Amino acid sequence: MKKLREEFADTMLEVGPGDPRLVVMVGDISHGILQPFAKACPGRYYNIGICEPTIVNMAAGLSKVGLIPVLHTIAPFITERAYEQIKLDFGYQNLGVNLISVGGAFDYAQLGCSHHCYTDVSLISHLKRGVVVLPGSPIEMNKLFKEIYANGKINYYRLPEHAHGVEFTYGDIHFGQGIRIREGRDVTIAVIGTQLRTAIAVADRLTGEGISIELLYFHTLKPFDTELVRASAEKTRRLITVEELSAHDGLFNLCLRACLGIDGMAAEQIAIEDFIHGYGSYEELCSKIGMTVDGVARIARRLVRKTL
Amino acid sequence: MLQNKDLRVKIAQMVKLSGEGHIPSSYSIVDLIDHLYGKVLRYDPKNPTWKERDYFILSKGHGCGGLYAVLHKYGFLTDCDIEDYSTSRGRLGGHPDSTIVPGAEASTGSLGHGFPTAVGLALGLRIQNRLNHVFTLLGDGECHEGTIWESANVANNLRLGNLCAVIDWNGSAAQLMPRDNLPEKWRAFGWETYEVDGHNPTALEEVFSKLKFAPDGSPKVVVAHTIKGKGVGFIEGHGKWHHRIPTDGEMAAILKELS
Repeated sequence: MKKLREEFADTMLEVGPGDPRLVVMVGDISHGILQPFAKACPGRYYNIGICEPTIVNMAAGLSKVGLIPVLHTIAPFITERAYEQIKLDFGYQNLGVNLISVGGAFDYAQLGCSHHCYTDVSLISHLKRGVVVLPGSPIEMNKLFKEIYANGKINYYRLPEHAHGVEFTYGDIHFGQGIRIREGRDVTIAVIGTQLRTAIAVADRLTGEGISIELLYFHTLKPFDTELVRASAEKTRRLITVEELSAHDGLFNLCLRACLGIDGMAAEQIAIEDFIHGYGSYEELCSKIGMTVDGVARIARRLVRKTL
Repeated sequence: MLQNKDLRVKIAQMVKLSGEGHIPSSYSIVDLIDHLYGKVLRYDPKNPTWKERDYFILSKGHGCGGLYAVLHKYGFLTDCDIEDYSTSRGRLGGHPDSTIVPGAEASTGSLGHGFPTAVGLALGLRIQNRLNHVFTLLGDGECHEGTIWESANVANNLRLGNLCAVIDWNGSAAQLMPRDNLPEKWRAFGWETYEVDGHNPTALEEVFSKLKFAPDGSPKVVVAHTIKGKGVGFIEGHGKWHHRIPTDGEMAAILKELS
């Protein structure tokens, strides 16, 4: 499957020639793959360099004259480092921007915690006009970008390094709507991003053990599809979220809010508690925090035993 | 001879009435802003978002008393706006909110934001082949912010010849960091650099008339030698008056000096 970052570049090339308002600025990443866009849309591509707050702040100037800025760099630097710029220059001033990150969570596992980012989704969600999408496959990036990029809001797209591998069609993807991947009756697993493939493996394994998993996938977290979660939780009364986000604010919180008042509900979260020190592969860091098929399956079995 | 006594009175009255404001910072820049609106900028106060206008961003937002007094003088703001300054009835506050203040091109206050926004504006206008000019006014203390120098570097490298920064060099920054040769720093960043007495109308006329704008060329900076609190002797300088509200007696003394 194509890399999400490559799809981003291809989508710019697809949309840019038809919309003269689109301007792409990057913080010295993805420079090579964006050259086709740069050639197709002269004067609308800028590699500004390593100065993320300035990139975000400059984009407010572009937005003020009616352009649609698309900013792209590594997640912690565009969201955490430049958050005041996002908050004041776009939130306070009612301006629109598209922030496209790579390296969310611990995708840059071998680079250490300086290049991890656990709070990006939470930070953007705090802004009323913030929009958060987490495309887990190229077609999601393409469809969701085209649906929302010109909406005048603060659109945040977190592009994972590893696509989840599920082949969706254009018709499967609708901004703001979760996708029921699998119907089940015993446990609801809600999942985002790359972890969809973990959740599918868990569902396969537990089906063999007689535990029926309902699997929900969310490419959009703000706005959140509360109805899908609530309907599922009312049926299963057991919920697990698997999310490469801060454990202190993310999918689990959204799901709990959606499920308020459901009697006898049990819920568990697998997320990122704190800095994941040390190095290794993406998969090895997943193992460190229990974000594995074994880890999720263990929790699902425990939930079922506890609530029988 | 002191210029803009009437604007200085208005600023003091706004601050006294509301109990909020930065009088010395506003007095430091009010002559500069008045000159820009009076002699340099193109605008239509009845249509503040006129597409052909020049843009002015007050990056040091806490000096907005100076901006409001000038916007009132040139017809952007009403008497009611001034009277309701910093109250729940009004639309003017201690830092400008661009979503509600006519003529305020950016919501500033947190230092280091207005200038990069101006750089982005200048780039955006050039992308659209528009010939508007962009001006922005920064404090010398604000020049401690990293985003100022990031943006200065970017603006020079993008050759934003439609951009002019004005620096209110009143010596605030040098109290903390005395190695503060701002003209040298801006020159080092590749900007076409001028110095001027920021309270002298003839000198201002001369320097701003020299500026040649072009879509592609060096950005320009006018480093203005100013006096914080200029015009009222006992509030000039860097002491307790930075954010002080005058007592009744002090207010009378201010008005007397400005009469």
